[in-house]
Amino acid sequence: MLRIEKTKEDNKDILRLIGEVDASNSVLLDQSIQEVVHQGTSFLLIDGQELGYISSAGLGVFMSYLDDFSERGIRFAIFGLNDQVGEVFKILGLDRLIAIVPDKSTAIASQHES
Amino acid sequence: MIKTTSLPLGRISLLLAILVWLALVLVDLVRIFGMINNLDSGISEEVTWILEILFFFFVYLVYRHVFWKTRQADFLTLIWRGASTGLFAAGSGLLTELIYLSFGESKLGTDPFLNNIFYHINFAWTSAFLISTALLWKHLILYQKNKAVVKQWQVFELSMLGALFFVFFNHNNFDYSFLFGLVILLVVSILLAVNLKWIPYLNFKEKWKTLLFLFLILMSSGVLFYRVLSYGNEAKLQINLTDNLFLMALFGFVFAYGLFSFLVTLFNLPTSSVFEQKLTEAINFQKLSQSIQPEENEEQVLDILLDSCMSASYSDCAWIALNPKEQLQVKNPLRLLDQPTQTSLASLIFNENQSWTSTSSTEQAQSIRLNHPIYKSALLIPLVINKSILARIVLIKEVKEGFNKEMMSIIGTFARQACISVENHRLLNQAIANERYQEELKIAQRVQKALLPLQLDHPDSFEISAYSNTADEVGGDYYDTYQVNPHHFVVIMGDVSGKGTSAAFHMAQMKGVFQSLIQLGLKPAEFMKKANAALSKCLERNHFITASIFEIDTATQTFCHARAGHIPTLWYRAQEKTAEFISIEGLGLGIVRNQSYQNHVHEKTFDYQQGDLLVLLTDGILEGRNEKGELFGYDRLKNLVEAHHQLSPPNLQQALIDSLHQFVGGDGMIDDDYSLLVIKFTQPE
Repeated sequence: MLRIEKTKEDNKDILRLIGEVDASNSVLLDQSIQEVVHQGTSFLLIDGQELGYISSAGLGVFMSYLDDFSERGIRFAIFGLNDQVGEVFKILGLDRLIAIVPDKSTAIASQHES
Repeated sequence: MIKTTSLPLGRISLLLAILVWLALVLVDLVRIFGMINNLDSGISEEVTWILEILFFFFVYLVYRHVFWKTRQADFLTLIWRGASTGLFAAGSGLLTELIYLSFGESKLGTDPFLNNIFYHINFAWTSAFLISTALLWKHLILYQKNKAVVKQWQVFELSMLGALFFVFFNHNNFDYSFLFGLVILLVVSILLAVNLKWIPYLNFKEKWKTLLFLFLILMSSGVLFYRVLSYGNEAKLQINLTDNLFLMALFGFVFAYGLFSFLVTLFNLPTSSVFEQKLTEAINFQKLSQSIQPEENEEQVLDILLDSCMSASYSDCAWIALNPKEQLQVKNPLRLLDQPTQTSLASLIFNENQSWTSTSSTEQAQSIRLNHPIYKSALLIPLVINKSILARIVLIKEVKEGFNKEMMSIIGTFARQACISVENHRLLNQAIANERYQEELKIAQRVQKALLPLQLDHPDSFEISAYSNTADEVGGDYYDTYQVNPHHFVVIMGDVSGKGTSAAFHMAQMKGVFQSLIQLGLKPAEFMKKANAALSKCLERNHFITASIFEIDTATQTFCHARAGHIPTLWYRAQEKTAEFISIEGLGLGIVRNQSYQNHVHEKTFDYQQGDLLVLLTDGILEGRNEKGELFGYDRLKNLVEAHHQLSPPNLQQALIDSLHQFVGGDGMIDDDYSLLVIKFTQPE
């Protein structure tokens, strides 16, 4: 089960993932990100505080947008992941490519660094 | 009736009937001779009666046999047979009359013996006609029999049997007991005569023929009855065979049922088309509801449907408009209609762009008034399958408001039934197609199993064992080995993102990449870079592969290791008696698809000792969940390996898999491919 809540704060689009991302619903995540990208966002934040699990198909979705983000100059960060989910990103090596930060304020503060 | 086909019972009965009749004639002639000459012939009238009864009995047997042989014949044939017998009997009676008219008052004309012979001939024909017709009526009365009718008939038969022997009681007098018996039998006859259920099954033409035949039967029985009466009134005869209760009651029965049938058939004539229509509708409905065979097509159903709807509504013309998306082709979509007329009518009915997606308003049959010089009303029936309109049937009539409620209801039923047939047909085809896909998947499964090595390359200095299981028919986990030279062995484990068929294809690509690149003698990190470059060209954008590679040098007792986003390998060290996951940085393959990948992968060389273990795995193992939703996890695996380190690789592997299954339990789940590869360094080279 996955629910995605979309909010906007100033220039930041925030996607809040609630539940689990697996092969059956990774399409939802893909659609949501695509929508935000097409609307011309400049800063996309993923709120992972209530993300319980992410499968490789879910990771594939983030991965597939990395080139898009850098081409369009979109800043992208994920915050609030629990240890288990954070570990999954880390093992795959995605933590080297995506800003994975503890909370929202860190994510916003890091805006100018990346 | 005895069912011995070897005995020609019909012929025997016929022969016996003739013999009895001859005996009857002879006996009566002797008796008349006695009466005229006032001599006692020594033959009592009971002999006549007995012979008469025997004659009736054998005639009955003859006709019963005839009916039994032709019991499958249709009504018209049977009624015609009754009518022809009647015509013959009446004809022979009239002929006798004519002969006597020509005789006039001559000697021959008044000869009692000749007269008597003619009387007996007429008697025989009359009896034959009455008995055969009575049996015909029985057949018709019992056409749709139920218990009550059968009982009624049995009562009638029994009372007729009584009437047969009544003559012994009554001595052929026309008295009150005779009248009483006659009235009772007539009442029973009339009660039976209401059983006329065979008539509605005749069509219009058959009813006319039936009327004619029934008229002939009625006429014949009238003529014969008149002659019997006139015989009875003429005093010139001393022997009367026909003033017999049995015969009189038969007359009554034959006439009553004949008259009822005649009248009911007559009054049924105007409504017979309705009954025929209903019968056609029932047959059409049955045709539509027969499920289509897989090799037949939906067009045939639509064809039958169009015809059925037309005949049910008496339409003057019709056509079927197919949804262009459905790829259907009806051989003859226009009925009694040419293309220009259809076009002009269509423009009247479909004035705007007709939508083919169903909404609740279009699902109903729709009656439309037309503004057309010839055609005045139309009925539109949509055929809805799966919320989309398969086709529309358009029925056209020349009269205004030509479609009544009953028509619309029956046509609606037809349409629904046709839709069900088409839908069933499609489901059946889908089921067959699914079956084929299952077969294809089984083949894919077999092919994929063959991609995983049966024999793992290894020297005597280490043991190795591997296990892999897929969540679906095919999966994305991969392991392989390669012997570079006598001291160098490469072991790899990979995991394609996702699962199922797409993962299986990428897994096959991974095998190709490994088997080609490893021939070049690449070191682990170099291998990963080249593999990333190769896979970047063939993986879908949102897919990646994780891998762990080990190059084992048995001569120096070292292994060189690189990890590309894969689950860290568990290394049990015999000296320290502890296990730990080898931590080394590395990004999954296919995530960064350019030269910069080389910054994301590293290799490291480790020394190993005798008794050390390497446990390679995919995330499916760690992500097995128990019913509480807890993950199997790293620690559980580590503890298990530490506890069972003394086991040989196949046994340790089995122990780990068993523990995983036990942890997950019956209600838990492993919804991913999972694989395990165990290496144990047993002895120094």
